[in-house]
Amino acid sequence: MPFPPALAAAVARRFLSEAERARLQDLHYRDAGHGYDPFGMHPAFVGFGEAIVQPLYDRYFRVQTYGTEHIPASGPGVLASNHSGQVPIDGMMLWLAVLRSTDPPRIARPIADHFVPALPWIGTLFARGGMVGGSRGNARALLDAGELLMIFPEGVPGITKPWSKRYQLQDFRVGHAELAIRHRAPIIPVAVVGAEEQLPQLFASRRLGRLVGSPVLPVPAVPFPLPVRYHIHFGAPIPVPRDYRPDQADDPDAVAEAAGRVQEAVAALLAEGLRRRKSIFL
Amino acid sequence: VSAPFTVMVTGVSTPIGERLVRELLADSRVGHVMGLTDTPVDRMPLRPSPRLSLHQVDLSRERHTHRLLFGEGRKRELRVVVHTAMHRSAWAEGEKVRELNVEGTRILLSLCERHPSIRRLVVRSAAEVYSVQRDLPVLIGEDHPLNMLPNAPQWVRDRVEADLTVCARMGLSKVQMCVLRMAEALGPGTGSQLYDYLESRVCLRPAGFDPMMNLLTIHDSAVALQKAVHSEAQGVFNVPGADTLPLSACIHQWGRIGIPVPGAWMTPLYRWRRRFTGHDFRYGMNRRRFHYSGILDGSRAREVLGYVPCHPVEWPVADPPR
Repeated sequence: MPFPPALAAAVARRFLSEAERARLQDLHYRDAGHGYDPFGMHPAFVGFGEAIVQPLYDRYFRVQTYGTEHIPASGPGVLASNHSGQVPIDGMMLWLAVLRSTDPPRIARPIADHFVPALPWIGTLFARGGMVGGSRGNARALLDAGELLMIFPEGVPGITKPWSKRYQLQDFRVGHAELAIRHRAPIIPVAVVGAEEQLPQLFASRRLGRLVGSPVLPVPAVPFPLPVRYHIHFGAPIPVPRDYRPDQADDPDAVAEAAGRVQEAVAALLAEGLRRRKSIFL
Repeated sequence: VSAPFTVMVTGVSTPIGERLVRELLADSRVGHVMGLTDTPVDRMPLRPSPRLSLHQVDLSRERHTHRLLFGEGRKRELRVVVHTAMHRSAWAEGEKVRELNVEGTRILLSLCERHPSIRRLVVRSAAEVYSVQRDLPVLIGEDHPLNMLPNAPQWVRDRVEADLTVCARMGLSKVQMCVLRMAEALGPGTGSQLYDYLESRVCLRPAGFDPMMNLLTIHDSAVALQKAVHSEAQGVFNVPGADTLPLSACIHQWGRIGIPVPGAWMTPLYRWRRRFTGHDFRYGMNRRRFHYSGILDGSRAREVLGYVPCHPVEWPVADPPR
C-alpha cells in the first residue's frame, strides 16, 4: 500500500465537502473483513481518489455528463466506453462521473489490462480505488456480486492511437459482450469526447513500453495533457438479458453480434457528442 | 441416526491435526479416533483414552500403515481417514521428504481403496498449489491453474503432486475422496510461511506492491476438516479463512514494522535472515504472492460442505511463541 487508509481518509476529509463525505458513507461494497474488498478496494481510498481527481474533473477538464440516468442504480452492469488519450485519464474521469452521478454512490470497477496490476505503486493505488486486473475470472466474480464494470473494449490499441485516428473506434474485443450475456447484465454504451485530443501522440514505442512493463509506450507531443473539455455521454442500456439467453455466451456469432451492437452504439454516441460540441476546449 | 464411527487422522502432532482430534472427540457422531504421528506418543500433548488411540507410524513405509489399517483399523471398522501429514519446512528437500509428502499419500490412498470398511478419504492440501500471477484472477476457484512451474520448490511440487494423486482417483473408486485446499493457517507449527515471516520485528516487503491475502486459523482448519469428515461430497474444495487483508495490514496488525525495499533485495536479505537466525521463510517461494493478490473462493465449500469461516485471527499477537 502506498500509505495507510487513515492517511487516505485524512486527505479525503481535507479536500471533500462534508456532504460528499456523508454521501460516500453509503458506498456499497463487499467488505471482506478488514475494510477491504477481496480485490483490495477500500472506501477510504475511494474518497482519496475523488479528492485527488476532482480538481482535474471540475477545473481542468471541466467534465460535463449526459444521460447519467442510464447508469443502473443497482445490480450488475457493464459500461463499455471508447478509450483514448495516451494515458488513462478518461478512465479516471468516467470513474468519478459514475461515483458522483449515482445515489447511493456506485463504483464503476475499471477492468485494466494485465500489465497494470504489475506496475509498482500505480497498480496498488488503482486497486484500492476499485480497479481489477483484466482476467475473465475477476470480471465474472464482480458481475456475480452485482457490481458495475467499466470496460474499454478497444484495449491498448484504443488508448495509444495516433492523432490521425482520433474518434475512429478500433476493433472492439468481444469479452465484454460474452460476460454480459453470461451474467445477464445490461451493457451501457459510453462515449468520452475530449480525451482523444488531450495528448497528441508523437510516436508509440514497443521497446520503451517493455522497459516499463507496458505493451507499448506512447510518447506525446506535449509535456502535459491539454485542458480539453470532457463530455461523457451515457447511452441507453443495451438490454442484453432480454435479447440473449445465457447459453448464447458460448455462441461466437451471438457474442460478435452483441459486441457489434455495442460498438455501433458507442460510435453513434460519439458522433452525437462531436456534433453537439462547440470546440475542443469549451 | 447412524452409529458412532471410527476416524483415523494422520499428522496429529501438528497443531491442525491435534485440534481436529479434539474437535472429533467432542463430536458424539464419532466413536473412536485413531491418531497417527511420526513422533513418540509419550511426547504428544494428546493422551490416549478409551475414545482415542495414538500410534507412531512412518507413513512412507507401506508395511507400517498396512499393519495399522488392516489390524486395528479393521477391528474398529474404520470408516473415515483424514490425511493432514506433510513436511512443514520450506527448506526440507530430498527423497525422504518426498516419500512422506507424495509416496505416503499414494500408499494411504491405495490402502484405503483396498480396505473393507473405509468409505471416505479427506486430504488436506494447500492454497500454495495454485499459481498466482498478474494475469490470473484474484479470486481463486477450484479450477484455477496449478503451480506447475519447473523451478517451484519441492515444498510446492510435492503438494501439487500429492493433491493430483488423489484427484486422479476421484470417482473411480469405492472410496469417496475429498481434497481441501486450505488457505494459510497462521499459527506456530503449521508450516505457515507468513507466520515465520511475521516473527521478525521488521518485515521487509517489495516496494510498490501490497497484495491481498487470505488467512485461516487453526480452529477454522479443524472445523473444515470435521465438516468434510461428515459430508458425503466428493471433490476439491477451497477452504478460505475469515481474514482477507493486504500484506501491509498483516504486518501492522501483528505489531511489526513493515519496510518496503526493492524487490530484487528481498531474496538475498531473507536468505541471510535464514542463515543467521534459522527462520524458515523462503522469499523465492512467496515472491509472486508478495506481488499479486490471490484469495481462495470458498463458495463451493460453503454450498456443499456447509463450511463458513467464523474464527478470525486474533490480532495482534504481540510476541508469538517460537
